[in-house]
Amino acid sequence: MNKVTEKQTGAIIWQIAKAVMFAFMGIRKKSDLEHDAATLKPAQVIIGGIIGAALFVIGLILLVRIIVN
Amino acid sequence: MAAVHGDVHGHGHDDHHPSGIMRWVTTTNHKDIGSMYLWFSFTMFLIGGFLAMGIRAELYQPGIQILEPELFNQFTTLHGLIMVFGAIMPAFVGFANWQVPIMIGAPDMAFARMNNWSFWLLPVAGTLLVGSFFAPGGAAAGGWTFYPPLSTQGGIGVDLMIFAVHILGASSIMGSINIITTILNMRAPGMTLMKMPMFVWTWLITAYLLVLVMPVLAGVVTMLLTDRHFGTSFFNAAGGGDPVMFQHIFWFFGHPEVYIMILPAFGIVSEIIPTFSRKPLFGYSSMVYATASIAILSCIVWAHHMFTAGMPAIGQLFFMYATMLIAVPTGVKVFNWTATMWRGSMSFETPMLFAIGFIFLFVIGGLSGVICAIVPIDIQVQDTYYVIAHFHYVLVSGALFSLFAGAYYWIPKWTGRMYNETLGKWHFWLSMFFFNLTFFVQHFLGLAGMPRRIPDYNLQFADFNMISSIGAFGFGLTQLLFLYIMINCIRGGEKAPEKPWDGATTLEWTHLPTPAPYHSFEKPPVLK
Repeated sequence: MNKVTEKQTGAIIWQIAKAVMFAFMGIRKKSDLEHDAATLKPAQVIIGGIIGAALFVIGLILLVRIIVN
Repeated sequence: MAAVHGDVHGHGHDDHHPSGIMRWVTTTNHKDIGSMYLWFSFTMFLIGGFLAMGIRAELYQPGIQILEPELFNQFTTLHGLIMVFGAIMPAFVGFANWQVPIMIGAPDMAFARMNNWSFWLLPVAGTLLVGSFFAPGGAAAGGWTFYPPLSTQGGIGVDLMIFAVHILGASSIMGSINIITTILNMRAPGMTLMKMPMFVWTWLITAYLLVLVMPVLAGVVTMLLTDRHFGTSFFNAAGGGDPVMFQHIFWFFGHPEVYIMILPAFGIVSEIIPTFSRKPLFGYSSMVYATASIAILSCIVWAHHMFTAGMPAIGQLFFMYATMLIAVPTGVKVFNWTATMWRGSMSFETPMLFAIGFIFLFVIGGLSGVICAIVPIDIQVQDTYYVIAHFHYVLVSGALFSLFAGAYYWIPKWTGRMYNETLGKWHFWLSMFFFNLTFFVQHFLGLAGMPRRIPDYNLQFADFNMISSIGAFGFGLTQLLFLYIMINCIRGGEKAPEKPWDGATTLEWTHLPTPAPYHSFEKPPVLK
């Protein structure tokens, strides 16, 4: 039972990550969007967006550090 | 838009309202307040335009002609402040007041009395800004970005400006809270977030940006005020402070501010292009995502305004990359507008002409923005006319053209009368011609090294400056034509048909009579 729940949680996190990633590019397939709208809550997407923005900033800083070094 | 049910003609009995001056002073009606915002912003636009004419008259030829350098600096400073805070921002809030409730099926704004207060703060701030010219020492003269130490050294005009900015910020924050609450809580049943018109979406995101950054502006001008009068040294190196810190705080507000002025413009254009292409907006959801994405990115790029202020290479690279990445969601939007027009049954009435003009010229402004984002280039063009040309392509042919497009598009709904189409087209083509005449040559001036904010210049810049000034006078006069067209429409325009734009699908066109009644959607429409 616990394993199934973990799997479901993992799937939702992956779905949020995908939604946020595509949102950053500004594109999303209609079928995926409808799936997101049906299964994700706005709060999940907003939290995902904030984490995504933080990761984006950290990623850029790492990239810049690699280039400068 | 979803299929809708409702009584289009069932609003006539509600069309009563108080009259006389007190109607306007005490009104809580979103349409009245929207109209007042629009008239106020146009008045400030004319004042800011007058200052621009003064600047261009002085720059018509080399040498000091009509403005002393001190007064010239006051003109450039107040031109920027008045246009940004007095003209463009209130104009978009005016559109939001008029349009958001009738596009989502709400009877009014959520906080109607606060809405009245938000507006009536503006004339006070506007009076302070304009009145500061007559204060001892004149108006603020350190540029619209009021960097210290210039702004800590100025006269009482700077204090009046600080007070005006405080008031304008309070007004914006109240307006934003009102818009957010209205959109989130007062949509008609069945209008889910992803069914909202794009204009409403762009305003929802803009309102969040405003709530985020206006307090930052209030904070920085308060620090400036205490540095000036209460012995603090936030921005004074001699007292242990740092003038560069002002720039960081200011631009943390200032760059999202650019998007505050352009996202609602995207919204207006996203309503007009599908209407006159007679096709739904291409990639609606991607437009929503792109808008949200632009809003987030706009908060992490502020230091690209400060590449020459002293910054480690790692900072320069970070802000350069982040800035260039904003081009991706912006490009998505331009692609979607183009794809909406592709194979559409297009017609070219004045709103559509301004919307297409917006796309064409905004792309030029966006492109020069990416150019300015590149650190080695920015270090060359910093504080030159190249930057002036860049942001006027974004804010005049971007924000202002979209405001014209929106005014022509919705004036039949607001007044029940049609504007003169021939004169509207003249307004567009003259604006296009004179705008480019004014600002395109400023790219060349900037690349040749002409600095901004100077009343005099070397002979090598004379020809392009003369061309630019002629363009500016033409552009300024053309806007009086817009005023004439609007007054002519309101006072004696032909009666507008119920739905003058056959491709329009949003609620105000499908569910309300023309003109929109004084009280609308007291019973929310039911959407399927």
